[in-house]
Amino acid sequence: MPHELEQLRDAALAEVNAASDEQALEAARVRYLGRAGSVSAWAERMKSLSKEEKPVVGKLLNEARTSVTAAIAERVERLRGEKEARELANIDISLPGTAAEAGSLHPLTQMLDRSISIFRRMGFALAEGPDVETEWHCFDALNTAPDHPARNEQDTFYLPDGRLLRTHTSTVQIRTMETAPPPIRIIAPGAAYRRDEVDATHSAQFHQIEGLYIDEKVSVADLKGTLEFFMRELFGAETQIRFRPHYFPFTEPSLEVDVKSKALRGGEQWLEMCGCGMVHPAVYEQVNRARGDNAYDPEKWSGFAFGLGMDRLAMILFGIPDIRYFAANDLRFLRQFA
Amino acid sequence: MKFSVNWLREFVELPASLDELAELLTMAGVEIEGVEKRGANFDNVVVAQIKASEQHPNADRLSVCQVDDGSGQARQIVCGAKNYKASDKVPLALPGAVLVGGLKIKPSKLRGVESQGMLCSPSELGLSEESDGLLILSPEAKIGAPIGSLFPEDTIFDVEITPNRGDLLSHFGLAREISALVGQPLRLPGAIMATGAVALQKGITISAPAECPFISFRKIDNVKIGPSPDWLRARIESMGIRSINNIVDISNFVMIELGQPTHAFDADKLKGALNVRLARDGEKFLALDGKTYALKTDDLVIADEERAVGIAGVMGGQETGVSESTKNILLEAAWFLPASVRRTARTLNLPSDASYRFERRVDPGMVLAASNRAAELMREIAGAIPAPEITTAGQLPSPPSDVSLRYEQVDDLIGVPVSPERVDETLRRFGLEQASAGAEQSSWRIPGHRFDLQRDVDLVEEILRVFGIANVPVRDRSRFTPESEADRVHDFESSLRAHLVGRGLNEVRTSKLISRKAIAREEAVELRNPLNEDHVALRRSFFSPLLDVLARNVLAGAQRVAIFELGRVFVPPGGNEERHLGIVLWGKLEPGAHWRSQDRALDYFDLKGVIESVMGPVTFKRTDQSDLVLATEIWSNEQRLGIAGQLGSAEMKAIGSTHAAWFAELNIAPQIHAAARPAFREVHRFPAVTRDIAMMVPENLAHEKIVATILTANEPLLASVELFDVFGGEQAKNFDAGKKSMAYALTYRDKTRTLTNEEITVVHAKIRERLQRELGVELRE
Repeated sequence: MPHELEQLRDAALAEVNAASDEQALEAARVRYLGRAGSVSAWAERMKSLSKEEKPVVGKLLNEARTSVTAAIAERVERLRGEKEARELANIDISLPGTAAEAGSLHPLTQMLDRSISIFRRMGFALAEGPDVETEWHCFDALNTAPDHPARNEQDTFYLPDGRLLRTHTSTVQIRTMETAPPPIRIIAPGAAYRRDEVDATHSAQFHQIEGLYIDEKVSVADLKGTLEFFMRELFGAETQIRFRPHYFPFTEPSLEVDVKSKALRGGEQWLEMCGCGMVHPAVYEQVNRARGDNAYDPEKWSGFAFGLGMDRLAMILFGIPDIRYFAANDLRFLRQFA
Repeated sequence: MKFSVNWLREFVELPASLDELAELLTMAGVEIEGVEKRGANFDNVVVAQIKASEQHPNADRLSVCQVDDGSGQARQIVCGAKNYKASDKVPLALPGAVLVGGLKIKPSKLRGVESQGMLCSPSELGLSEESDGLLILSPEAKIGAPIGSLFPEDTIFDVEITPNRGDLLSHFGLAREISALVGQPLRLPGAIMATGAVALQKGITISAPAECPFISFRKIDNVKIGPSPDWLRARIESMGIRSINNIVDISNFVMIELGQPTHAFDADKLKGALNVRLARDGEKFLALDGKTYALKTDDLVIADEERAVGIAGVMGGQETGVSESTKNILLEAAWFLPASVRRTARTLNLPSDASYRFERRVDPGMVLAASNRAAELMREIAGAIPAPEITTAGQLPSPPSDVSLRYEQVDDLIGVPVSPERVDETLRRFGLEQASAGAEQSSWRIPGHRFDLQRDVDLVEEILRVFGIANVPVRDRSRFTPESEADRVHDFESSLRAHLVGRGLNEVRTSKLISRKAIAREEAVELRNPLNEDHVALRRSFFSPLLDVLARNVLAGAQRVAIFELGRVFVPPGGNEERHLGIVLWGKLEPGAHWRSQDRALDYFDLKGVIESVMGPVTFKRTDQSDLVLATEIWSNEQRLGIAGQLGSAEMKAIGSTHAAWFAELNIAPQIHAAARPAFREVHRFPAVTRDIAMMVPENLAHEKIVATILTANEPLLASVELFDVFGGEQAKNFDAGKKSMAYALTYRDKTRTLTNEEITVVHAKIRERLQRELGVELRE
């Protein structure tokens, strides 16, 4: 027959394991292990036991205490786990998340960044020049003399001091060559201005990326390689690209680039993307005269230049129907590009 | 410019497929921007003459016409139009005809009256989109002739001619280009090019030989001014030019055919000898368009002994123009300096078809040919008697200089070898003649109409056009390029943008051109020639541009506007360019309904927090600024970067908002290079202990001062001080007036050991005591 203490221990363990919450468990703990608890009472009784009984009972008492304490700890753990599981199960995970509203980059910035990163992978460094320019940098140095049919002062904004707002970023070609000798491999993102009525496809101020590569024996083949790579990176590997002869005073031969791609308005038609060409020797001559040396010897160096309209690219790529969205900055528009 | 395919065909055999021709031209740099089908070719539609017209007995709107269709038998047609009279000639669709939209014509009865066909409007024949009434044909039209003979089928190309190719601004010129591109011979009808038995004689003065190197006049007598024959009218109308009378139409026809403008004076209205001279300052000129122009001393005019009778290459005079009563003509054909014509046409804002061509340099070889062509046509069409001689003055410009070309240059620039034979063959196609030949290079004589071919690279382009750019291989050549200053600026700005977007701001990009209204607020660099009131100056700051964006979005119902712009502003008076960052915060911290949203408005500390997070250590000082009710300056390293503050109530009223709006603008240039490289610090190995201090302080005691007091104790164990609570003002009704509660967490740490409670208590007590002693604060437990 088990010792009375063993019976008490089993009763305590049963009660602990039956406790359904922490309150019931605490009550059980107090009842058995508390200062006045029935297990603790045996410790009192020990004093009056015989020498022979003492070690036996002491061992039993210890064992009872340890096992009940352990059972309580285990039970607490379990009850807490169960409670937590119940609480977690009750969380409505369909409630909306609480992330702070994100901001957004302007679509033109995104377009510029994307284009810049492609050119940087090809080894182009950035360059820049002022928006307010001299007539020389904007026209004369670019082989567009005052009586040139392509020089249209009517479409140019002038400042009272005779300077102007650059009509293209090609001015940065000149700015760069004035200060650095060849080879040159740069792109220049920036604003350009046109004195023209504003409508869905024209704005008074727009954005371009200018490119210039001057090195020994640069040819139309290099120009094609560079721009075809850019267009395919931007519009996808399937993009068709064609180069058409055109005319710009500062390049010869001059070309225009058209692309056709499923991603662009269904790929139904050729879309004009870019003007480009081989830098005209007259441009080198103007630059050399300004530099006072022959650093850009047309016999030694050749190069290509191009100009990409960022507004138009962004409109085509994002499907934006009207250029005026860009400067209006309606948040309902901007947040679409977050 | 528009080109008629039928007209081109007169000069050169065209490829069978017009799509192919359009593609060929486009890929050769003559871009076809549009293709339009013209003409009315219908079976069973003929020219008929209305003999009589009566009111329909049963319908107010209808008439019953008797028409002559050339068959000899009168035909009865019921007609709804009103725009005709008896004897007019009109198109008649006979039974069996099928018109536009598949409309089948058959005999029928209309309100009881028999109709044996239909009289047609332009739109029913596909000649226009919409039309009102019948198409009234020329009185010369032959009764019974098929309508297709009056309106032959044609295709009109809309072609972009680049400004360097003035030689393509005529049908003959484009045909010449096509002949070179496709390798078909160019047909030169003798009637066009024959200079005939024309004797040249002198007898005109040119007082401005630089502006007018060459001019010619031909007397053409006994002209009968009248309407043009149908073929001529159809030709020039197909080019979008209105038919005026036979003489004016011939002049236009020749210009479109050969590219050389001519002008017909009424010879009997000219007084005395002619002189080509520069205008007198302020000289008045009544032009053909009925307007009077005040000329300047660099405008070139044709003058008789009394007055200017024409602005050279731009427009003739009204008083000496051809009119219905003109009997004798003096026909001018000249070669004017392109720059002179261009300048005058621009300054007078008087662009014309003639000036467009003169500006782009007409072919010197075509001047007299055009004069002859026009004279011949006037003889044929207007019964005129051209004088046997042409009077000329000056010299036609000499042909362009020879250009030499190294064959290797072609290979280098195109990037693929092209054989010298192929180079030679290509250049010959374009009418160049080899002046001297060599194994490595040859010299080329340039035809008079190709003034754009001035140097070797121009010849390379001709070769490339025929070689085909599609046949040039693609090369991939990269080069290692060191980072530039612009790269560093770009990367700095990109990271700034990323930070601001991460903090929930939306980037905007406003126009750098600002409105008249905006410059009323602050001085800005103004444009000399603005086009409208929206773009009159360069922005001086982001104040107006960003406020406009705010106003627009408030109007659109936004709950929160947190925006920034990064870009250039222009400092008057010189327009010096600076890089600025502009920020506007307005509205609720968290817009829209959310189950856990914090409902409070954005305020100064949100603005300050944004600036601190992207600009690093900056300090803020109070200042005064007219547009701001709360204005602070932003300083970094002894440099004033910009301002931050709250917009005044006037601004907010204009925007229509009751919320406060917060604006900041900083010059970011000093920060671009200030961005320090991160430096490693040892990670703390021993635990820190945090103790709080809460106190009641006077409302006007600044946080800055409290922190400074704590820090001046120079306690080595004190690692940081953080403000974690401020409570006061309206919220704290049970406080003494003029008091607020502030609570700080002070963190203690030692790099080399774990601190004991006792030593922290000593240090902490010293700091508490210092606060009490120096600031008189009331410490709370």
